[in-house]
Amino acid sequence: MGALAEFLVRYDGVIAFVGINGVLAFSMYAVLIAGQLSLAQAAFASIAAYTSAILTMQLGLPFPAVLIIGMIVAAGAAFVLGLPVLRLRGVFLAIATIGFGEVVRITALNLDVTGGAIGLRPIPRVVGLWHIYLALALCAWLFFRMRPSKLGRGLAALRDDEVAARVMGVDTVRYKLFAFTLSGALAGLGGVLFAHYARFISPGQFGFERAVDILLYAIVGGLGQWLGPILGGGFLTLVPELQRQVGIEAGWLRPVINGLLLLGVILFLPSGLVGVGRVLVPAGLRRRLDATSPRATPAVTTTPEAAAVEVSVRPPEGTVATLSGVEKDFGGVKALDGVDLTIGSGEILGLIGPNGAGKTTLVNVLTGLAAPTEGAVEIGGSDVVGLSPDRINGLGVGRTFQQTKLFEGLSVRENVMVGGHRVAEGTLLPRLVGLPAARSAERMHRERADRYLAMVDLGDQADQPASALSYGNRRRLEIARALCSEPRLLVLDEPAAGMNQVEATDLGGLIRRVAATGVTVLLIEHNVRLVMSACTRVVVLNFGQVIAQGDPTTVSRDPEVVRAYLGTSDATDVTGTTPDGGPDTNDVGTAPEERE
Amino acid sequence: MQQLVNGVFLGSIYALFALGYTLVFGVLHQLNLAHQGVYMLGAFTGWVLAVSYDLPLWVAGLGAIVAGALLGLLIERIAFAPLRGRPDEHFAGLISSIALGIVLVAGAQGIFGPETVRFPPDAFPGTRFVIAGASISLLQVVILAIAVAMMVGLNWLVVSTRLGRAMRAVAENERAARILGVDVERVTMATYMLSSALGAAAGIMFALAFNSIRVEMGLAVELKGLAVIIVGGLGSLPGAMVGGLLLGLAEVFSIVLIGSGWRDAVAFGLLFGVLFFRPQGLFGKLRVREV
Repeated sequence: MGALAEFLVRYDGVIAFVGINGVLAFSMYAVLIAGQLSLAQAAFASIAAYTSAILTMQLGLPFPAVLIIGMIVAAGAAFVLGLPVLRLRGVFLAIATIGFGEVVRITALNLDVTGGAIGLRPIPRVVGLWHIYLALALCAWLFFRMRPSKLGRGLAALRDDEVAARVMGVDTVRYKLFAFTLSGALAGLGGVLFAHYARFISPGQFGFERAVDILLYAIVGGLGQWLGPILGGGFLTLVPELQRQVGIEAGWLRPVINGLLLLGVILFLPSGLVGVGRVLVPAGLRRRLDATSPRATPAVTTTPEAAAVEVSVRPPEGTVATLSGVEKDFGGVKALDGVDLTIGSGEILGLIGPNGAGKTTLVNVLTGLAAPTEGAVEIGGSDVVGLSPDRINGLGVGRTFQQTKLFEGLSVRENVMVGGHRVAEGTLLPRLVGLPAARSAERMHRERADRYLAMVDLGDQADQPASALSYGNRRRLEIARALCSEPRLLVLDEPAAGMNQVEATDLGGLIRRVAATGVTVLLIEHNVRLVMSACTRVVVLNFGQVIAQGDPTTVSRDPEVVRAYLGTSDATDVTGTTPDGGPDTNDVGTAPEERE
Repeated sequence: MQQLVNGVFLGSIYALFALGYTLVFGVLHQLNLAHQGVYMLGAFTGWVLAVSYDLPLWVAGLGAIVAGALLGLLIERIAFAPLRGRPDEHFAGLISSIALGIVLVAGAQGIFGPETVRFPPDAFPGTRFVIAGASISLLQVVILAIAVAMMVGLNWLVVSTRLGRAMRAVAENERAARILGVDVERVTMATYMLSSALGAAAGIMFALAFNSIRVEMGLAVELKGLAVIIVGGLGSLPGAMVGGLLLGLAEVFSIVLIGSGWRDAVAFGLLFGVLFFRPQGLFGKLRVREV
């Protein structure tokens, strides 16, 4: 005991900074798990550090009060910065946040109340090791419990594919703003702890280099897991200390070694120190630490048909969606030119047309990814023009994408659970304090996802990462994911693209099974054979206009349709029988198309 | 009038530096954060050649540019090439170039020490001209002329040469370019060399103009360079030139109007203004992607 006490006293400073840097690393982690790159963390920390130091020194407020005020001010700054800045992506966001950091630093440098370049001192040292490590433990607990919750999955989905996340009903603007604000609060926590431990703050401590340091803690630790920030912060704080111990001089050699270490980590250890650590930890413990894979995964025994029965609902009466006079201009090109379309409840409506006919544009207008230039779109009786994709998802529209957009970093089951984002209960707050209600809500949602997985016959792959699925299975997973939001209308955008005829036939069966559960289906396809066999009604689009509609047989004999597809009117119909009985020349698009 | 001359002069150096950034971003969609190290080492190389080896200034300048190009090749090979094809390629490239930048700056400090070094006072001709009330030195005129010549040359290279065509093809669609027979590896290396040659040129010009060379000199210009390419539009060459000039002028006039303490805030004020009202930058295009 005496030895430990002596150790703690001797290395008090190092141990404290390991912990503080861990907290700052968590603040970075909070935005990185949402796929946002912010370099404003040092600025948020400095805002809180200055606020708290001024309150302590000039007003003599007690520590808990300045801690809370500091965190709130930093979170507020993050929120206010986030409102306009989060429209930006990737590099733009990074540069904007660098700019913000510089503005904060220059402001602190030029104001009187912050002490200018000299900074503030002496700040009473009221923070001890236990404060710091309690804060670090709370951060770790927060993120440990967050990942397997609705919020955690939503953030991960946002990171992996923002467009798909929006279409799945994740309000990405709110989620980004939340991540940003949380990161501001945590950076503020780190800043207040720093100010009241180090006793001295100045603008130079929170500059661009510091912002990069904080980013490095999170990256070197690894983003896959909540332990990462602790490892990264600890490692990068200890390395200079160790160098000092073995007698490497400060100055240039230490940064060279740091830089090389960092280069080594990023080039050779993509998953960071956590990735290295994982190999050393026994599998059982690893699973518990991950906490993303539920401990007991029930074997899926349900057949697709039985699963379909379980999720069946009675379709509502009347129409599901109405488009009237919809036009969409892309800089002079009319992708949609006055489309009127009514989708009746319980239909399997096929939408076909040659390349560039406007099919995908129509789907994007229907799901809120593109706003129509003219015309009205109603879903379930409400006008949806101008609504965001997540709101339209809330009105009961689910969709898949022409090029699959899965959340590659999530498991197959988690993908489906994100699909049910809107119908899932938020469980983070009860989870943080360990309420049993949270566990049962999570389990219910997981079982719901499993039923849809069983329905598309992927029940046995639930725990695989989505990136490991084969091409055909990726398409099925997209369908299960869309279904989990319990949509009234399911829009399938070329689900058979790239499939062979056997797989396409299977898919036809699945589509009919889905429709039998009471979901209205809009099927966009190039594979005419699939459309003709699966659909109850077919609409043909060409040059942005509806050129024919009706039951599959009538439409396939319509001379104008034949002309649109084949360019002549010699052929008898578009289902594949040409006058000389040749093979189907019109399965245009069964080969996957390169589009981006 | 004097301020205008100073602003244009400073701006042209910013523009050269930013051109290097934006060239790599425009063609390869990578942000090379080790670029500031090239700028700094370009300055030091020129200084060593001129002072220690007693070479004429123009030879030293040329040497710095060649060294910069080689350094660019090194950066591409070490920090970017090993990441190609990884899903986190862009993100990891940001980090690895930051890391390499740290190594370059700290290494330079090991070699040259932390102090500011200067050219001897008799290194430049002292001739000065007075044009419309503004005093301008022969050195400034030469630097400005070279900067403009390099910008014109770069534009010609990108628009009219085979390499430039290949670069534009890679920028548009790397896969398609590869299929059509463009040697993407070579274009990538050439882009980095070109970009870094510009960075080193900006460095040696700054060193000559202000007669001050420090290992941290790159860090200050790095953030400004980022602001410039955003203001001008990421990946846009004319954007970087206009953005650089704009920033130079804004800085010089802000010293006059609101004091030097806030000078550095101007770059970022400009940056925010552009980001909010025109996120694609002055000359950038918004890219629409189909899902």
